Amino acid sequence: MRILRFVGRRLLQLIPVLLGVVVLTFLLVRVLPGDPIRSILGPNATEADAEAARVRFGLDQPIWKQFLDYLGGLVTGDFGTSIQSGASVTGEMALRLGPTLELVVIAVTIAVLLAIWLGIWSARRADRFGDHSVRIFALFGNSIPEFWLGLVLILVGYAALGWFPAPSGRVDPDTDLTPLTGADLIDALLTGNGPAIGSAAAHLVLPVLTLVIGVLAPLLRSVRASALEVLRSEAYAAAAAHGLPERTLLRGYLRRATLVRLPSLAALVFGTALGSTVLVEYVFSWQGFGQWALRGLLYRDYPVVQASVLIIAFAYVLVFLIADVVHAWLDPRVKI
Amino acid sequence: MAAIEMTPVVSVNRDGRFAKALIYIGGGILVVAALAALLAPLLTKWGPTEIDPSGTLAAPGGEHLLGTDGNGMDVWSRVLHAARLDLGIAVLAVALAVVVGTILGLLAGYLGGWVDDVLMRIVDIFQAFPTFILALAVSALLGGGFVNLVITIAAVNAPAYARLVRAEVRTLREMQYIDAAKTSGASTIGIMWRHLLPNSLTPVRVIAPLNCGWAMLTLAGLSFLGLGVTVPTAEWGSMISLGTSDVVAGRWWTSVPPGLALLVCVLGFSLLGEGLQERADARRR
Repeated sequence: MRILRFVGRRLLQLIPVLLGVVVLTFLLVRVLPGDPIRSILGPNATEADAEAARVRFGLDQPIWKQFLDYLGGLVTGDFGTSIQSGASVTGEMALRLGPTLELVVIAVTIAVLLAIWLGIWSARRADRFGDHSVRIFALFGNSIPEFWLGLVLILVGYAALGWFPAPSGRVDPDTDLTPLTGADLIDALLTGNGPAIGSAAAHLVLPVLTLVIGVLAPLLRSVRASALEVLRSEAYAAAAAHGLPERTLLRGYLRRATLVRLPSLAALVFGTALGSTVLVEYVFSWQGFGQWALRGLLYRDYPVVQASVLIIAFAYVLVFLIADVVHAWLDPRVKI
Repeated sequence: MAAIEMTPVVSVNRDGRFAKALIYIGGGILVVAALAALLAPLLTKWGPTEIDPSGTLAAPGGEHLLGTDGNGMDVWSRVLHAARLDLGIAVLAVALAVVVGTILGLLAGYLGGWVDDVLMRIVDIFQAFPTFILALAVSALLGGGFVNLVITIAAVNAPAYARLVRAEVRTLREMQYIDAAKTSGASTIGIMWRHLLPNSLTPVRVIAPLNCGWAMLTLAGLSFLGLGVTVPTAEWGSMISLGTSDVVAGRWWTSVPPGLALLVCVLGFSLLGEGLQERADARRR
């Protein structure tokens, strides 16, 4: 009950922020230079053609009228029509979310699990060789440009060794995969398409590895720091002094206390990963949300820009909300 | 590519030698990089945008130390010259973000009331996005070029500094020495400038170097996507982007060297930041 009230209050607080995002994107995309109409018309188009196209997309209306139309559509889940493709933005977005979520969710999951294991391992060996290696790895991971790492992995994994498929696409077209969710690996598993499972998994390895390395470093640092804090706490010292077995100390004390901070970290990292996927999708020609949003931005496709910016902001703040709820549920000291 | 985060580095080594080593190594890397950037014309035979008519994509060795790229330009020369732009934009942008963020944070934290409310709601909107996505959107709308890139990267980072300084100021505001200054007739601006500003900058000093590294990665990422600095200007991100097609064909020298240069510089900032953080932690204890 208390948690419900907390979630309700937080959702109410989100409304002004999201409304601010909606207004700001709407205005900025129109005020700043760039014309979405010119890019869809050929070089020989006349002023009359441009005017006709403007009328077709409602861009001839006064700006307050356009805004009210946009808001009215938002309420019913209608994000408008893409100027570039002429298709419904909601439909296009649904197609693009699957591939991106597939990348981000797999990468963040692997990174979180690895970070817990390595971070605790490193903290228990504080200031010894293993710990130093982990810290140096984390420093490198924090400093490496992901898009370049992706290229190096392609150079080694595809061009030199030939172990992985070319960085163009998410599954071999000749595997006859029936799209369901858009996440190819899941679709292949659901339809029981053996060759497609193998192909989708092989295509996933390099981009996921790129994301994992980029995302792992900040997580690892934080897990290590909070594990060290636990190790130095009086509660842990008392438990150790009582002669509790090593396993109990590790599982019952160290791991549990370290995990408390994890939800908020995972949320933060989810945001970093969302940013990185734009680059990683570009490197691996992964036709996902990032590529779609980037094209929208470059061509000033107003409805696409508005929809993608709003969805990202919404997903990001929602993930933080979920993290706070999980944190409160894990840690009885947190008052909500 | 984490932006601004305050993770306490719990140091085991208390005499501060480790922190010192980190600061020297990181600082050393940056000094070498800055020298290389400044002396680039002396260290290279070819200009950064000069085209060798004898051929494109020449392998490293001989006339061209690191070969030539798809346009027939010398890779070694471009890598060195690019350091000017990459380091320059990143450092300028972070400096601008610190100045703007600090001023806003001081105002919000000390004045409170509606100023605080308005500023913090704006900060909320900025922080509703992952930082790289925000940089991407702002630079796509604002356009590329030196000035716009500095503004973009500064704008994305300033809110975090505003929040940081505001939190410091709100604690400092309650201190007795501020009351003492008030009763002795100091003006609001005087208190902010003389008493609050110097003391609220402590966390900023630790974060700023780390942030410079992040700014370099962001700049290169934007240019890689074609939004920041464009060919033929020498910039690491756009050089890597140009080399993308060569990588699939197994030619490493057009995109690996600029990436390595970027990695080394960012590492320099990371080491410096980590050392400063470790030292600050040791002092606090």
